[in-house]
Amino acid sequence: MANVYLYPFTKSNLAKTVHTVFAMVLFLMWIGCPTVLQAQVNISGKAGLLYIPSAEVVEDGTFSAGYAYNPVNYAIKFNKRNSESIYFVNLVVLPRLEVNINLLRPNGSIPFKEGGIGDRQVDLKYVFMTEKGKRPSMALILSAPFGVDNSLITEAIVATKHMPVTRSITAAVTIGMGSPYSIGRRTNTNDILSDFKIYDKRDLPYYYLSGPFGGVKFDVAKKGGIMAEWDSQHLNVGAYALLFGHWTIQAGLLNGDQFTAGTSYSCPLLRLPKRFRKHE
Amino acid sequence: MNKREGIKQQAKILTLSGNSTQRGKIRLLMPGAWHLFTLGCMVWPIRESLAQRKNGLSDYENMTVDSTQHRVYYEQRLYRNPLIGILGLAEALPKQDIDTFVPLFQGVPIAQYRLGTTVSTTTITKPERQEWRKTHPFNSRNYKFDFRLQPEFIAQFGFREQVVESKTNLLLQSQLYLSRGLVLNWGILFPIVNQLDNQALNVRPAPIFLNQFLALDGVNFVSLSAGLFYNDQYGVNVQYRHVDLTKNWSFGVEAGYTGFYFFPKNGFYYQAPENLMLLADVAYRIPKQDITLKLSGGQYMYQDRGVRFDFIRQMGSVEVGFFTTKTSNGTTGGFNFATPIPPGRIARTQRVRLRTTEEFRWEYAYTRGYNIASRYRVGYQLDALLRQYHSRYLQNQYRQYQ
Repeated sequence: MANVYLYPFTKSNLAKTVHTVFAMVLFLMWIGCPTVLQAQVNISGKAGLLYIPSAEVVEDGTFSAGYAYNPVNYAIKFNKRNSESIYFVNLVVLPRLEVNINLLRPNGSIPFKEGGIGDRQVDLKYVFMTEKGKRPSMALILSAPFGVDNSLITEAIVATKHMPVTRSITAAVTIGMGSPYSIGRRTNTNDILSDFKIYDKRDLPYYYLSGPFGGVKFDVAKKGGIMAEWDSQHLNVGAYALLFGHWTIQAGLLNGDQFTAGTSYSCPLLRLPKRFRKHE
Repeated sequence: MNKREGIKQQAKILTLSGNSTQRGKIRLLMPGAWHLFTLGCMVWPIRESLAQRKNGLSDYENMTVDSTQHRVYYEQRLYRNPLIGILGLAEALPKQDIDTFVPLFQGVPIAQYRLGTTVSTTTITKPERQEWRKTHPFNSRNYKFDFRLQPEFIAQFGFREQVVESKTNLLLQSQLYLSRGLVLNWGILFPIVNQLDNQALNVRPAPIFLNQFLALDGVNFVSLSAGLFYNDQYGVNVQYRHVDLTKNWSFGVEAGYTGFYFFPKNGFYYQAPENLMLLADVAYRIPKQDITLKLSGGQYMYQDRGVRFDFIRQMGSVEVGFFTTKTSNGTTGGFNFATPIPPGRIARTQRVRLRTTEEFRWEYAYTRGYNIASRYRVGYQLDALLRQYHSRYLQNQYRQYQ
């Protein structure tokens, strides 16, 4: 009698344990999403190529987080002295409006007083025109002005057009213009809305995204792709792969000289758990 | 509903949704004499837990089915997103029978949701509440001993060698349901790391406080708290909110009088109450995207006066917000989020459950060290709780189910 009752218990306990163990993994792969979310991201975690952002529209409610490595010869903060680690999160907070938060940290030792914990930066991207017929999508990207001495400041207007090459290959062509001017501040006080000044990136020894830029990305069956870009100063090439529909790994060669690499993970927050999704 | 009726209802659910063996077993019990009934009562918990596990009903507590009204009253603490609770229950219960769901919070009905082609929400009026209270006496045995793991991460950006200075703790928390709406929150705090201040890493009590949740009628809600809160503040906190869960505008007030406390290695340390907090807010929902725009102001902790503007978006089980605030101590901004922590349920018997928290809430402000609009946390904020039950938020998600 006891065994009769114990059997289903043991079985269900086992099933439960297995469930718990894999729940984390399931959560990460939650979804098995049919539409591709944000795949390839640029160095600051925005949809784009290696350095340059694009005007792609990312699905509403998509959250992504990741890391990028920027090699020493192309390091933005301490060029030719410290390579950089960039940590980022990106959220499509409204349809067509993305908020990107990134932290840039120089790797290795830096002299005392030259830098603290790194640059904390907030960027907004708004796609003001979506792709339709021959028309490309266009987006405006602006860095919030209250960051102190940020390195990856992006003040740009950009256009992207997707073109099918074969049945499974799509080309996304992006062109844009980065402004050298930005509003910022240099003091860290109790008022983030004070001390604004206009700065010119070109006054710095090395800078990010100023002037015309462009690139092309070939996406193969939404599983991976290759890309080439002009980041306003150098010619870069790279490749990426999308694993399990959520996890992107990417690498690139900058100016035929040094390698960059990054990884990111994205998930759609607006979707109900799969068991309750009757149709998309 | 008394206990026997409850069992009858359960039996009804079982017969309707259980498989043929279960049905057979129930039939076996039916013709039995009293001793068989007694035996049945002893076996019942096992059989119930088996069946419930199969049906997915054991996620739910204090559940009563009113089949004449096609309605179910229930409480669930497992999911932050009430729609997951509703849909889970809808799948577990026989479909043609039940279409109206009344989620309870701390034993108090919030509102009534009927699932059809859309979710239609009705608020519960004062006479309806009085009537319901009469027919449904509160019984704390309808609740599990629910333990949840709640991480606590108080952090700031530090300096180069220690990028993030944090005080990270793991809290094992539980709730004792004392009477309708009245809950004692308690727990144990296990410190993990402290680079933030010089508090020792001693295992200590987690915040312990009483909370009374009241629904005055369909649109007026109150939350009263007293005890040892989060962020080392003890005292009292009162929140009132006027919100029609089918409308876009809402407003509320909050008052608190608190002082500093902490648990050193031996004993308890506290200071006289000194922080009078008086806040009022008005909020507007943009229903299409579940956005709440909230303007609040008044006196924060440390006699700091000012205003704060919040942009909050509910995205499935997650909530993300951005804010900016200007007070006499300075101007700053930041973001916050609230998210469930996977995997949710870890272990469960019929009476006891261990799970990860349904809500981890965190806020980041760009500026630190100036005490700009700072506040402490109690168990829940009334506005955050109630917007989870807003009709449009549920309807917007229900589209994926329909």
